[in-house]
Amino acid sequence: MVHRITLLASALLVCVGVADGWAQQRTITGRVTNALSGGPVAGATVAIVGTATVAATNDRGEFTVSAPPGGVTLAVRAIGYKRGQASVAAGQSSVNFALEQDVFNLEAIVVSGQATGIERRNAPNAVATVSGVELARVAAPSVEIMLAGRVPGAAIQTNSGAPGGGVQVALRGTTSVFGAATPLYVVDGVIVSDAAIPNNQEVISASNKGSNPSPLQQDQINRVADLNPDDIGDVEILKGASASAIYGSKASNGVVVITTHHGQLGAPRFTVRQRFGVFDLAHELGSRVFKDSNEAVAAFGAAAAAFFRNNSTNPNWGQPNFVPGQAFDHEKELSGGHNLSTETALNVSGGDANTRYYVGGLIKDDEGIELNTGYKRQSLRLNLDQHVSSRFNISFSSDLVHSLGARGLNNNDNNGVSYYMALQFIPSFLDLRQKPDSSWGSTLSPINFIQSNPLQTAALMVNDEDVWRYLGGARATFELYNAERHNLRLIGNGGVDWFGQKNTLYFPPELQFMPVIQPGKPGASLLTNGDNLNTNYNLNLVHTYRPGGLVATTSAGVQEEDYDLNIGRIVSKNLPPGLSNVNAGTDVSVNQRREQVRDFGFYGQEELLLRDERLLLTFGARADRSSNNGDQHHYSWYPKAAASYRLLNPLGGVEEAKLRLAFGQTGNRPSYGQRFTELDATQGIGGLPGLTVPGIAGSPDIKPERQTEIEGGVDAILWGGRGTLELTLYQKSVSDLLLPHTLAPSTGFTSQFLNGGKLRNRGIEVALGYAPLNRPDFQWVSRASFWMNRSRVMELPGGDTTGFRVGGFGCSDGCFFLKPGQSATSIFGNKGLDQSGVCCALGKIGDASPDFKLAWTNEMTHGAWNFSMLWDLQHGANVINLTKLLYDLGQVTQDYANPLTAAQATARGCTGSTVLGQCRLTQYGLYTGTYTERASYLKMREVTLTWSLPPSVVAHLWAGARDVRLSLSGRNLIVITPYTGMDPEVSNFGNQPVQRNIDVAPYPRSRSFWFTISAGF
Amino acid sequence: MTPFLQTIAFLPVRTRHMRKLAYLSLALGAALSCRDPNVPDLNNPSLDDLTTHPTPSKVAAAAQGLLVGARLNIAEYNGYVSELGVFGRESYIFDPGDNRFETELLFGPLDPGGPRFGGNLWVVRFANIRAANNLLAALGNSALIGLSAAEKEATTGFAQTIQALDFLEVINTRDTIGAPIAVDTKLGDPPAPIQPRDSVFNHIVRLLDSADTHLAAGSAAFPFQLSAGFSGFDTPASFRQFNRALKARVQVYRGAIFACATCFTDALTLLTGGATFIDTTPGFSFDVGVYHSFGTGSGDLTNGLYDPTPAKLYAHASLYDSAETQNASILKDRRFLTKTQFVSLRPYGSHSDSLGFIRYASATAPVPIIRNEELILLRAEANRGIGGATNLLDAAKDINFIRVHSGNLAPIANLGTQATDSILRVLLKQKRYSLLFEGGHSWIDHRHYFASGGDLPPTGTLRLFNWPTDKVFLLMPVPLDECLPRTRPSRGCP
Repeated sequence: MVHRITLLASALLVCVGVADGWAQQRTITGRVTNALSGGPVAGATVAIVGTATVAATNDRGEFTVSAPPGGVTLAVRAIGYKRGQASVAAGQSSVNFALEQDVFNLEAIVVSGQATGIERRNAPNAVATVSGVELARVAAPSVEIMLAGRVPGAAIQTNSGAPGGGVQVALRGTTSVFGAATPLYVVDGVIVSDAAIPNNQEVISASNKGSNPSPLQQDQINRVADLNPDDIGDVEILKGASASAIYGSKASNGVVVITTHHGQLGAPRFTVRQRFGVFDLAHELGSRVFKDSNEAVAAFGAAAAAFFRNNSTNPNWGQPNFVPGQAFDHEKELSGGHNLSTETALNVSGGDANTRYYVGGLIKDDEGIELNTGYKRQSLRLNLDQHVSSRFNISFSSDLVHSLGARGLNNNDNNGVSYYMALQFIPSFLDLRQKPDSSWGSTLSPINFIQSNPLQTAALMVNDEDVWRYLGGARATFELYNAERHNLRLIGNGGVDWFGQKNTLYFPPELQFMPVIQPGKPGASLLTNGDNLNTNYNLNLVHTYRPGGLVATTSAGVQEEDYDLNIGRIVSKNLPPGLSNVNAGTDVSVNQRREQVRDFGFYGQEELLLRDERLLLTFGARADRSSNNGDQHHYSWYPKAAASYRLLNPLGGVEEAKLRLAFGQTGNRPSYGQRFTELDATQGIGGLPGLTVPGIAGSPDIKPERQTEIEGGVDAILWGGRGTLELTLYQKSVSDLLLPHTLAPSTGFTSQFLNGGKLRNRGIEVALGYAPLNRPDFQWVSRASFWMNRSRVMELPGGDTTGFRVGGFGCSDGCFFLKPGQSATSIFGNKGLDQSGVCCALGKIGDASPDFKLAWTNEMTHGAWNFSMLWDLQHGANVINLTKLLYDLGQVTQDYANPLTAAQATARGCTGSTVLGQCRLTQYGLYTGTYTERASYLKMREVTLTWSLPPSVVAHLWAGARDVRLSLSGRNLIVITPYTGMDPEVSNFGNQPVQRNIDVAPYPRSRSFWFTISAGF
Repeated sequence: MTPFLQTIAFLPVRTRHMRKLAYLSLALGAALSCRDPNVPDLNNPSLDDLTTHPTPSKVAAAAQGLLVGARLNIAEYNGYVSELGVFGRESYIFDPGDNRFETELLFGPLDPGGPRFGGNLWVVRFANIRAANNLLAALGNSALIGLSAAEKEATTGFAQTIQALDFLEVINTRDTIGAPIAVDTKLGDPPAPIQPRDSVFNHIVRLLDSADTHLAAGSAAFPFQLSAGFSGFDTPASFRQFNRALKARVQVYRGAIFACATCFTDALTLLTGGATFIDTTPGFSFDVGVYHSFGTGSGDLTNGLYDPTPAKLYAHASLYDSAETQNASILKDRRFLTKTQFVSLRPYGSHSDSLGFIRYASATAPVPIIRNEELILLRAEANRGIGGATNLLDAAKDINFIRVHSGNLAPIANLGTQATDSILRVLLKQKRYSLLFEGGHSWIDHRHYFASGGDLPPTGTLRLFNWPTDKVFLLMPVPLDECLPRTRPSRGCP
């Protein structure tokens, strides 16, 4: 690979050296200002149309550009402004521009192919664009969370409240069932990995030993969290196949195209930002308070009485501040952290006409609310753009990231050691705290409530995820041919994405639960080393033809990606105290897993702009092959076609309306290994190796899922650009689903991955933008979006109409079940005995997908003050709240002891129950819906108030400063939901296309408050 | 590449220089696309490779793999021993992460859709049955060279014996439902029909007898290694004793289930004729037998039944209540004392318990598959089943032998002349304590004799449990996934 890149680079470098031939004969100067406020626009680029000459404005908005003699046309562009253009006559030496703000990004270029872009006003798809400014307004654990509520059609939810990320991004409904669940992330033309490697805590938690052996129950971080939001210029989101077809067989979950900041012409511009913040437990589950010893004895036996006696028989007697019958708030003790979080960012941008640079640095330290949890990240990005000749431009990007996550011990568990799993069994009268003699409150004696004391666990154990990552890329643009009508460019992108992830978990022998779950050999040290290397490149030829009256852009290219993953795990048990190196244990086991994928694709695309740039026609196709397919030489074809037409002033108040229609196909390639039917060679007995049948059969014919999307809509610009409307209808069909076809287990196999079945999504997206006030002293921009999606399983392989289980812990706990005619994210469960009195009538009890989502953002600027907020509403959707079920089992749910009268009990269907918790438990086995709750919510995700210091004060403080701002902001300050668990955004199984919304003892939700000082100079 | 080249060919590339560059880049792309896209399986060998290209080492690894597979889901905290123990009122599983061990296994109804509550005891057994069939297919492949005919015979006998054990564990949990037998189907074929219980037992007997014949024709040593649990039974000749012991158990089961006198007779013949390792002579050990081995090496499995504190596994309180007092002592039955201990009270849902297990002394303690103590009890059961004065006296003799030597209890005088039901009750009680927490014996045995009307008797001397709201289930349902692909996709097929 390296060899080939060298070849490629030298091939490109041969072309360097064609000298510029312009004779610079005169100078044009001028100033660029904001049309509304009259203030200067810094960093605007001023180009002479038809030449490569370009200049930038300084802090005062002034520019100087060299021009050839004769009349020329100058074009001015600045981020956030509509473009300006002016003719400059031969004798004219100065020109000024007053640019109007482009609040709705109407003039932005959106991605239309691997190497081509198109103006938003012509775009045939509803491509969402979010600017870096919007993203970075309020600090967040990872970049995807910042997108929540800003993209119509995107369901973005956190898997838990843990610091460091773990976020699911689902674009336009359910696009797979068992295939890859995350969108394709492309940063500056290079595909980056969003892999999520579990930390192996399941060795201690036994989360895979229960009803679902999935290794993804370990609250893993998906690695796109490594990106620094401050480096991002903008994010474009291709939501379905009609927009993403040219990305081929990895694009069916959509594509997130991220462009990082690049250097701006001019003197170096520094921006420094310092944030201070604090996270706060947002919602306590609470715990039952036992009013007297009788209640405790009834629940836990006679020994519980001791906790309420005010004498020496009480195990807490004699401790400082002991109050008989006291109720402790274990949740606060565990998750009540308020340590100071900080974030320091510095970036520099500048350069001249030939070389431009951007350097972005970040040091982030988020302190988690749970004891000893947090997330630290440091990153350094360097982007360099080099103008080699008038025909050859090259840019390099390099991003080095280090992150360290301490995630505590959360999520599902069968050993009673994950924090909230333990709290489910610990009554509030038990004192868990460390005593003056340094011992900890016991949960094992005199009553064995549960194996672990979560406070002790949190204090003594280590669960660190240490990641080093390097993202490097180069992009070369070579103009092969340029004439009045023709332009032919060769554009090459290549990059490497490497990360090394090291998970160090240490459970010292002193932990109370250690001798219980590992009798005879306490102490465990787990070491996981994950090594991931992605290399990819694409080569594109883009030809633009402008014969007059039309613009034809033809592009063609090839793309190749290699993906290598190597995970080594060491588990060492029976450690001497104080030693955590894995060689210290006497019971050591190792495991290695490797994955390697080679993908190759090529594509061609034609874009035609006709009729005075009002009609766009585009069509293209991509062919892909992958080593993950059964037939590794077979190419799958993915066509696309789209059209849009702009109507000028079709109605009063409507400045422009665009009708658009787009069609496209993409794929979702199989995962590594799905084509193999293996024998498991990893097990042995007494030192003898053995081969066993692992239960899952591969398929030699496996091929990618195929998504077909048709999208149509209307975009309108209203009231002279003060309003926008974007209305989209889409239908997405996914066929050849990668499904674990359930085999009768008597065959020796439980399932085999096969292509088959079909599902469909239909949806509506409406996005409205409105600027109610746009005065020099007060600007107010408001955006609202509404979207809804309905998925439906159209057919299953072999004409199966019964359906089958696709996730969960078995249907009595609530399971995901695919059944023709039903939503793909249907939650099934028991609904009582069936007609013949046998357990159980299986039926739909909920759905993980919402009925609709609404988002509303507002930004107001008044003089030096700026206020913004983002509201996000979800209606419908259900969560299987197993945390509550287990709290009930432990008899410590806050409302467990709420009394029920006989009549109330009968009305609830639990005749005989006297308290609420007991009632729920008795119903549970037969009626799964008991613990399936509504997950509707209204969240104020972001709110920010910023004050810019008056320029006079700034100048007084520091002569070199450009501006100084102070802001107060918050994330998730208001959450209104009927959900009784911690957070309606939850997923015990991490990122999943279907199997999400299962709540099993997750890291609790937090809100955060921030104070920020930023300065530019 | 053709469409791509065509696209380029139509481009109005004017100069020769530029065209050259364009084609150069295309050629580069084309060269890259010719790279071999094949990526092999980097983690595990292929299943087909064993049957199509067998070699002695692959066969040895597959044979050893049968022992790995046979051990799966036996001694996990939620495996065969502990879940059958719950049904047979030997154990409780207080899993903090899943209350279905109470709500389902003790209250019911049993849900065929749940993978862990019975489903696992079906799935992994059939996976190992498939593994044995693969091994048998490899042995039958003429391309297998390097193994002598006698070695192939020995390996065949071994594979069939392990397969019979897997089938026995399947029918033990599904009882009257039956089980599929002809499961060596190709993927994609319709699943094998579920055969009635007697057919399954016949199949097990056929397998064991066939295995015995093959072992008899086998080499002096196996061409692979057996785990430490087979110590003393690790040559084809000694392994036959294990095979015959299993057959004796199967014949006793058949005798009890089908009131089959000849089955009892056959069992008695096996247990008295020296075919097995039954031993009551001086110097005998109850523990001689065959075991599942456990270890802490990489890839090995530890014994999940070792849970002294305990984390999850508790012993049923009725064990204390019904334990007799040792001879000339105030102490409880020695078996009770050596297999259980008092621990601090554990509340779990509406249950609580303070009796733990010490049956297994370490995480690597082996779990019996079959051992001498059971053989003595099986001989007593066969004699009682045959009936008649002599046989009943023989039965009483063995029962008292166990009472005295295992439980340190007083022998029961004139036991052999008591009513056969009384003898049976004493016998089953001895089996309960002697084979406690070893493989669901208490549940299986009680079901054989006292199941009627879909439930075990809730009261009387044979009452198994002391928790009024708890149910005793007679069998586990067939997993939902097994029923769904069938023509009659009703729940709880067939």
